[in-house]
Amino acid sequence: MRRNTLVLSAVVLILAIFAWAGWANWEYRKQAAERLLAGAAQGELVPAPGGGTPQYVSPLMGKPAPTFALGDLSGKKVTLASYRGKAVLINFWATWCAPCRLETPWLIELRNKYAAQGFEVLGVDTEGDDLQKSDTAGWAKDKAAVGKFAAEMKVPYPVLMDGDSISRDYGGLDDLPASFFVDRKGKVVAAQVGLTSESEMEAKIEKALTE
Amino acid sequence: MQVQGLGSMKITMQLCTAIAVFVFGALAAQGQVVSSSAQNRSIIKTDQVTYLLPAQVSVPAGRPTAVTLHFLIKQGLHINSHTPSDEYLIPTAFTIPDGAGVRLDAATYPHGTTFTLPVDPTVKLNVYTGEFVIQARIVAQAGNHLVQGKLRYQACDNNACMPPKTITVPIDVIAK
Repeated sequence: MRRNTLVLSAVVLILAIFAWAGWANWEYRKQAAERLLAGAAQGELVPAPGGGTPQYVSPLMGKPAPTFALGDLSGKKVTLASYRGKAVLINFWATWCAPCRLETPWLIELRNKYAAQGFEVLGVDTEGDDLQKSDTAGWAKDKAAVGKFAAEMKVPYPVLMDGDSISRDYGGLDDLPASFFVDRKGKVVAAQVGLTSESEMEAKIEKALTE
Repeated sequence: MQVQGLGSMKITMQLCTAIAVFVFGALAAQGQVVSSSAQNRSIIKTDQVTYLLPAQVSVPAGRPTAVTLHFLIKQGLHINSHTPSDEYLIPTAFTIPDGAGVRLDAATYPHGTTFTLPVDPTVKLNVYTGEFVIQARIVAQAGNHLVQGKLRYQACDNNACMPPKTITVPIDVIAK
């Protein structure tokens, strides 16, 4: 009787340990997956040689720009692929981002200057408010704000909605504005995060046009 | 009988050995989880805004009572004030969810300071930096309530902005 009790207790203990080990393994796998996801395509700021403003280094440099298909303000679907043969500046921005709004006049000026050479800007709005697809009121509010801003600034290039849906492909976009300069073959030749200067952007546009 | 006793002891020893092996294996798995947790913590970024205090307040039940909430903004960052200079900018706002047993009667925010971007000094923003306080007037039902208040804000540095964020403001409210 005493032996039976001992055996039964041992069986229960072993089963409990099995269950706990199973949970521990699942937790470990979950954390590993999260680490992998967090590390994927993340850009980083590295110190500039000789001091000065840290430079943004994107893991997309030299690689094909991730494809996307996003709706513009009229609802029309715009794809990156349709711009193959042109140099493109993919500019991630948001209405609440003051530096983004400061650089908009530069983008307009540079776009108008280089359009004839086969250059276009795609302004990808990235409000970061995690709207659900079913939240039609939320989307309408965002679109109204974006449309109002684009009209006030007289933006001549396509303004695309729902940049959050492609932000992971482009490095997570923790900071805005974020710009990716794509050459005529669809390869990322330069990238920047944060407000820089019009001349710095122009140099990167010229690089995209001549690569 | 002696032989039976010896057999019994042998089984018990084998059982104990088996248990020891399983426990060792499980502890090794736990070690993996702990070390990966530690690694996970090392890649978590520091919060842009942190709630400092109070963790607990005692208030008279049913009567509006002022509570001073202290927050700290990470060095190098600023957040929009409750009344930002532009309609597009996201204001800092404190709320308490319904059903918490505690109601936010009113919140008084500090005046922000004027901030200009180095690139364009003509653009003036109204922001908070460093430590700031919000005076929250709350009304609590009698009892002990663990309130999960919310602070929504949007932070920037001199050149870039981060997406809007909401942090939890946990306050243990004791109302008598």
